[in-house]
Amino acid sequence: MSSTVGIELEEQYHDVEQQREAAKLGMWTFLLTELLLFSGLFVTALVLRVMHPDSVTAVALHLKFWIGATNTAILIVSSFIMSVAIELSRLGRQRPMAWCMLGTAAFGVLFLMLKGYEYYRDYVEHMTPFLSFRRYELVGDPASRLFTNLYFITTGLHAVHLIIGITLMLVMAWLASREGFLQKHQNRIEITGLYWHFIDLIWMIVFPTLYLLNR
Amino acid sequence: MSDAALRDPRIPAPVIDRPEDYLHVEQTLSSWFFTTDHKRIGILYLVSITGFFVIGAIAAGIVRLALVVPDGSILSNEVYNRMFTLHGVIMVWFFLVPSIPNTLGNFLLPLMIGAKDLAFPKINLLSWYVFVTASLFTLFVLLWGGVDTGWTFYTPLSTQYANGYVIAAVLGIIVVGYSSILTGLNFIVTVHKMRAPGMTWFRMPLFVWSLYATSLILVLATPVLTIALVLVFVDRAFGLGVFNPEQGGDPVLFQHLFWFYSHPVVYVMVLPGMGVMSELVTAYAYKKIFGYKFIAFSSLAIAVIGFFVWGHHMFYNGITQYSALTFSLMSFIVAVPSAIKVYNWAATIHKGQIRLDTPMLYAMGWIGLFVIGGVTGLMLASTALDGHVHDTYFVVAHFHYIMVGATVVAFLGGIHYWWPKMTGRLYSEPWGRVSALLMFIGFNMTFFPQYILGYMGMPRRYAVYPESYQVLNVLSSAGATILAAAYLFPMIYLVWSLWYGEKAGDNPWHAKGLEWTTTSPPPKHNFRKMPIVDFDPYDYSNEPPEE
Repeated sequence: MSSTVGIELEEQYHDVEQQREAAKLGMWTFLLTELLLFSGLFVTALVLRVMHPDSVTAVALHLKFWIGATNTAILIVSSFIMSVAIELSRLGRQRPMAWCMLGTAAFGVLFLMLKGYEYYRDYVEHMTPFLSFRRYELVGDPASRLFTNLYFITTGLHAVHLIIGITLMLVMAWLASREGFLQKHQNRIEITGLYWHFIDLIWMIVFPTLYLLNR
Repeated sequence: MSDAALRDPRIPAPVIDRPEDYLHVEQTLSSWFFTTDHKRIGILYLVSITGFFVIGAIAAGIVRLALVVPDGSILSNEVYNRMFTLHGVIMVWFFLVPSIPNTLGNFLLPLMIGAKDLAFPKINLLSWYVFVTASLFTLFVLLWGGVDTGWTFYTPLSTQYANGYVIAAVLGIIVVGYSSILTGLNFIVTVHKMRAPGMTWFRMPLFVWSLYATSLILVLATPVLTIALVLVFVDRAFGLGVFNPEQGGDPVLFQHLFWFYSHPVVYVMVLPGMGVMSELVTAYAYKKIFGYKFIAFSSLAIAVIGFFVWGHHMFYNGITQYSALTFSLMSFIVAVPSAIKVYNWAATIHKGQIRLDTPMLYAMGWIGLFVIGGVTGLMLASTALDGHVHDTYFVVAHFHYIMVGATVVAFLGGIHYWWPKMTGRLYSEPWGRVSALLMFIGFNMTFFPQYILGYMGMPRRYAVYPESYQVLNVLSSAGATILAAAYLFPMIYLVWSLWYGEKAGDNPWHAKGLEWTTTSPPPKHNFRKMPIVDFDPYDYSNEPPEE
């Protein structure tokens, strides 16, 4: 690790290594709570699948498989770029690192755009049962509403997390536009990276649970 | 102290014209509201949860008052329902869950492991702000709009039939969950990474072990409640129907998700109390604790097994007899580590040099109440007996023996024990003893009749009851007034001691443990020099305490 990289010691710690490890463990613990947050939705999805297998399949056939699959690939690429950014931050190469983080954010935005288009298609195809003013496509199958709604809740919650992730990327890239950022705060890049990878990981569970399992 | 002995005599000692303890180092209002010192945040929490305790207790008093007469003529049914919901919601989420961890835990955890502060002081402060915002919001909702679902928010009552501001109340509880998560996260990282040199895992005080187990539960269970309540929220707001049987949803699914959080959270309430007990019993028996490792691991065992017992709340709510049997068995198993703790405390007291000071009186009362609460818990965990007493006052009495008898008594005992460390002052010992005794008497008088009422068949949450139950109900309400006095006295004499109490000195109880090696109140970073731990926990040499 070159001397241009480091972290500023906060007063409650004895040394930098302790601070680094504490931050990492703290982020992992937080991510564990995120996993459990989503697991409630995954359990609900599985319960609906057991209770109403036909209705769930009917909805799953309406989901845009190719958009979901493309989005999965987009997130994998974004995670790859993020890991390059982390590697660059360890080498102290601040500018290329910031560009990589902007790239990561760009792929995140691309994901959201595709997701938005998918929601638009759902709207057009009358697959929005929670909008009372709009006709619902599978109106003869009331149980199908449950899974459709769950699809919106789960992907919506994931999108909220992704928006937070993109914001973090932009803030970090902006902070890294100043000289000497990595000398004081290299750790922040590692922690932000953990969060980003984890949102991708959540999507890796969301995608099969909603799109694949039920087709 | 030793610093003075080491100082070069030729250099004059520095003149300190004001005390440098954490209370006096800065005295502006903003130095409190923007502090990152774990001790000050502990005090902030102490003040706020005491306020919520008073509100919750007043609501309980109103419920008890209404139950003095059998015909429900004192309160309308609607107000009665709102009152017990107010009592339940406030007491569970805004007093019991944060009670010991966020006050004593916040204050003591870094002191006990020899750290300067928690791992994330700013997150600690953030958790307090989240707590205060969410709790004031929820309180406003409960008082002005009112919610009548009970603290459990069972569906489809909460999603479809209940009147009142369910959506807003649920939102407040979702938000306050994040303050729990942040505290749990902070404690876990602090225990793992912030221990002083020589403070190995098996040199940690048992209070720290119990806080660690508590934090694991907070971090693993709270997100599941969050998502369950989010689903209630959208169900009620947009008619999404996940829990609505009319649309093909499953109301029992809510109960599964809810109790997956809410049973472990009972251990969030009681585990820190058990940790306080381990400290009190050793200090006042003046003896090394019996079975240190068993107590430490039993805390973890409770945390783990506690995640697999939630179904015992639902024996008669549509789960199969086979899963009811499994949950019943698991509930019996989770009692084992609790019993191990009680035996170890008894063995610690055995042949100890017992001082019956206020904290020890609380501790002795604790053991009695916890054993009664625990054993009746086993009765409820038997599927056959639960069929008889399910949803009766027997259940109410049982969980009050655990949540008040164990958690609140341990909280008060702990506050008394560490009061000199927190404030530098001694409280009035005679008043302390009187309050501890009143607590024990008042508590039993309030809640023991409820066991009998429940066994006789009085259902919980009803505003009217047959006249034959009136004697026991009046007895219970009369006990509640004694209990109220037992809460009121400490509030008065503890506050009084802040100005008029005797100066405590660093270690008034001659107790062992790192927190007693620093000054009272401790300086901002707890220790003037980083402590190096080369002794075992509870290093009492079985000699009488020097008086």
